[in-house]
Amino acid sequence: MTRDEIFAKVVEIVKPYVKNEDALEAVADDTNILEDLKVNSARLVDIILNFEDEFDIEVEDEDADAVNTVGDAVRLIQEKLS
Amino acid sequence: MTRLPFRTRAAHVFQREVGRLFSIVWVLPIVFILRVVMGYHVRDVAQVRTRYRALVKESDRPLLICPNHLTMMDSAVIAWALGGSWWYLFHYSRIPWNLPEYNNYASRWPTRVGAWLTKCIPVIRGGRREDVSRVIKRVQHLLSKGETALIFPEARRSRSGRVESDSVAHAVGRILTSVPGCRPLCVYLRGDRQDTWSTVPARGDSFYIDFELIKPQSDHRGMRRSRDFSQQIVDRLIGMEEEYFARR
Repeated sequence: MTRDEIFAKVVEIVKPYVKNEDALEAVADDTNILEDLKVNSARLVDIILNFEDEFDIEVEDEDADAVNTVGDAVRLIQEKLS
Repeated sequence: MTRLPFRTRAAHVFQREVGRLFSIVWVLPIVFILRVVMGYHVRDVAQVRTRYRALVKESDRPLLICPNHLTMMDSAVIAWALGGSWWYLFHYSRIPWNLPEYNNYASRWPTRVGAWLTKCIPVIRGGRREDVSRVIKRVQHLLSKGETALIFPEARRSRSGRVESDSVAHAVGRILTSVPGCRPLCVYLRGDRQDTWSTVPARGDSFYIDFELIKPQSDHRGMRRSRDFSQQIVDRLIGMEEEYFARR
């Protein structure tokens, strides 16, 4: 799976939890999931569990701590898939 | 479980020991405020304390208190109801560490000092994950050292006035899965005049309190396991709330 494909899937997974639709239109690697997209912090766990299902990976709590931006999420998934 | 840096561990010891040294200066006044100034009353308090003390005595495994959340005084009322002021002076480790929202008290230095003295670790809800994670690791460390901690599994005061099943803080499960032997104690507290959430309970209110140790189970690993644990705690609190309203 290419990086762009992972990125597109990540955005698709995050989309239902986003409160700032404008920020979603300009989403990039450095878009902060909590601060820019205004995702509720409690929902971040659901998002990461969706990554697990979608990409068939297992994410530990400590791995998830590093996920602040969309780019961080893509990087984590790439690492888990490799 | 990640080992904390020496400086953080030393800071905990310093905070705990200074708090212990001054405990008579803050434990008794807090209880005075709750009992006399606010006029609060806990129903069957002797029975509650006997049960709690027996529970503490039967095992020295770490205890994570997981209550429902309706007012900003819940943690103080729960600690008072379970232990009682004099008992805490001789069982200081049983005064639970709390995680108050930093912005609720950080604007004035007396409240900052007060929070530090009374075993509080500030947290910024919805803050950067690394910062929240650092706080969780501090709680994990304290529990592993035999301290008691109190975390609200709903993360915030319930806006509906009832335990909210869709408002689950992942941190509770994360702590439980990472601290060997840690026991979650579900606590349900409600004042008779507490219809919904508020800053403080009504003056002269009478509190119902019940608690139960549970053993969360999960077939999963990682974050899913933590999530299952948190959910089971909130589900049990919902059950305790139903029992409360059925008896009322």
